[in-house]
Amino acid sequence: IIEEEDLEQPLWQLEMALLQSDVEMGVAEQMLDTIREKMLGTTRKQVQTTAQLVEEALHDALLDVISVGQFDFDQRIAEADKPVTIIFTGVNGVGKTTSIAKLSEYFEKQGYSTVLANGDTYRAGANEQIRKHAENLDRKLIAHEQGGDPAAVIYDAVEYAEAHDIDIVLGDTAGRLHTSNDLMAQLEKIDRVVGPDMTLFVDEAVAGQDAVQRASKFNETAEIDGAILTKADADSSGGAAISIAYVTGKPILFLGTGQEYDDVERFIPEELVASLLEDEE
Amino acid sequence: MVLDNLGSSLRGTLETLQGKTRLSEEDVEAVVREIQRSLLQADVDVSLVMELSDSIKTRALKEEPPGGTSARDHVLKIVYEEMVAIVGESTEIPLEPQTILLAGLQGSGKTTSAAKMAWWFSKKGLRPAVIQTDTFRPGAYDQAKQMCERAEVEFYGDPDESDPVTIAREGLEATEDADVHIVDTAGRHGLEDELIAEIEEIEGLVSPDLSLLVFDAAIGQGAKEQARQFEEAIGIDGVMITKLDGTAKGGGALTAVNETDSSIAFLGTGETVQDIERFEPNGFISRLLGM
Ligand SMILES: Nc1nc2c(ncn2[C@@H]2O[C@H](COP(=O)(O)OP(=O)(O)OP(=O)(O)O)[C@@H](O)[C@H]2O)c(=O)[nH]1
Ligand SMILES: Nc1nc2c(ncn2[C@@H]2O[C@H](COP(=O)(O)OP(=O)(O)OP(=O)(O)O)[C@@H](O)[C@H]2O)c(=O)[nH]1
Ligand SMILES: [K+]
Ligand SMILES: [Mg+2]
Ligand SMILES: [Mg+2]
Repeated sequence: IIEEEDLEQPLWQLEMALLQSDVEMGVAEQMLDTIREKMLGTTRKQVQTTAQLVEEALHDALLDVISVGQFDFDQRIAEADKPVTIIFTGVNGVGKTTSIAKLSEYFEKQGYSTVLANGDTYRAGANEQIRKHAENLDRKLIAHEQGGDPAAVIYDAVEYAEAHDIDIVLGDTAGRLHTSNDLMAQLEKIDRVVGPDMTLFVDEAVAGQDAVQRASKFNETAEIDGAILTKADADSSGGAAISIAYVTGKPILFLGTGQEYDDVERFIPEELVASLLEDEE
Repeated sequence: MVLDNLGSSLRGTLETLQGKTRLSEEDVEAVVREIQRSLLQADVDVSLVMELSDSIKTRALKEEPPGGTSARDHVLKIVYEEMVAIVGESTEIPLEPQTILLAGLQGSGKTTSAAKMAWWFSKKGLRPAVIQTDTFRPGAYDQAKQMCERAEVEFYGDPDESDPVTIAREGLEATEDADVHIVDTAGRHGLEDELIAEIEEIEGLVSPDLSLLVFDAAIGQGAKEQARQFEEAIGIDGVMITKLDGTAKGGGALTAVNETDSSIAFLGTGETVQDIERFEPNGFISRLLGM
């Protein structure tokens, strides 16, 4: 029979391992509580150690969290009325604009046409950056002057797509921290005015404990359908994925794995769990 | 008190020590546990947190509070001293001609920080110039140029040149009259061997007085390995922590200064060129220990 004190040490080690993988502390503790509840009073077989059992339970708990809300992205796009408008949100510098360029390429490879819309009318060089991507990929870009209304830019791109039979509108937004009330209000307005078919929250795999804060604030402000985790090539464990899925209840859909246009992969929950558990050894 | 801005659970634990003159092992355990929690939630490296809390515990149990000092103030003083021993003072930045090289992960805030530092030096009466060597990221040239216009400082870049080392050389020549040269580089991480080799070459040519690692306040446990790799490649003399206007605590910077045996130079607190501050240990330590 497994008792409280048998669990203390293995659970503490797991908590440290989860923190080492950048799973947020509150999320880690709630997962461990679930495991504790589940294991207390159960009997273990002679061949098993408590640590083994705990690890198995952790595997299941992690997979549960990270598999949340997974849906067939390609199918949803295929079935949606065209044009499909997708808006990309997230804090500064995580890789929104680059992910738009990558997804444009992803879609075109599947035979869809795409138009890019620069809803970042704020940051220095934002227009030039996305224009260069559009040129490299030979895509149409809708952009306004710096200082313009971001909602209007994306709205224009939707009209353009309707008039030209374009399948997918990829709308960029300026990076903003969830602590900026003005910018979050602006994001809320973009979401309301444009009424996107899908909102993808972009965050980076190297992010630590803060992932929980920003994912939940962005999801509250402009409800997200899923997330993209970038910079997965940068040698991190990617526990941020667990934090984001846990607090938003929305799936991670894509991984960014480099700075080239084809450096994007569909996210596979089992792979992340395997790599998180591997890190612990 | 230096640390009066503590997280609520840590403050709660400390309150229970109120009025005590001696700390039991249990008291110390409780405080240390709360400190561990705060630092882990601040993204400080897990093993560094354990080292720190071990030394805090040992000292708190061994050292007698000096006469008239409450047990609570004594343990806080130990915490503070142990933290200061790692963060140290702000990186020394003499107000004289110098060359500063910026390095860091993709999107950490280097280009913005380059313009901010240039603005900071210009307010100190020096003549700065920013040299943009990022030939990789689309729009990098325009971004840096526009930020420098906003900062009203000299800018050099060459959108037609693809070799960063050439730009660095020509940029230093072209801005010879400037006092302070701030060299921006493309984003990279430690596993990108070619890009690491590239920044080694840039560093060799520029021979910076100061190589600064620019870290996002939200960076997680990867901070240690990234800092180690940049240190190995170019030698890190200081850290700039960006995006501190968010809720991230910046514990990765503590890890980085520990790993590179350096210190923190500047803080970034917003997207405009004026949003830069010199590092100040007290505020940062309070932030790490919880708001
Ligand atoms: N290594 C790596 N770098 C990436 C990845 N995705 C984006 N980047 C880089 O990260 C940096 C920032 O990317 P952006 O696309 O400009 O990020 P953003 O979120 O649009 O930034 P803001 O608009 O300023 O908020 C650039 O240097 C990109 O090349 C990735 O998956 N891996
Ligand atoms: N809120 C806030 N945003 C910042 C701060 N510093 C930089 N940023 C933003 O972070 C994003 C990335 O900044 P950049 O200066 O482009 O970062 P970088 O390191 O040069 O990026 P790469 O060149 O692609 O590696 C931009 O949206 C900046 O406006 C800061 O202190 N606070
Ligand atoms: K050093
Ligand atoms: Mg962008
Ligand atoms: Mg840059």
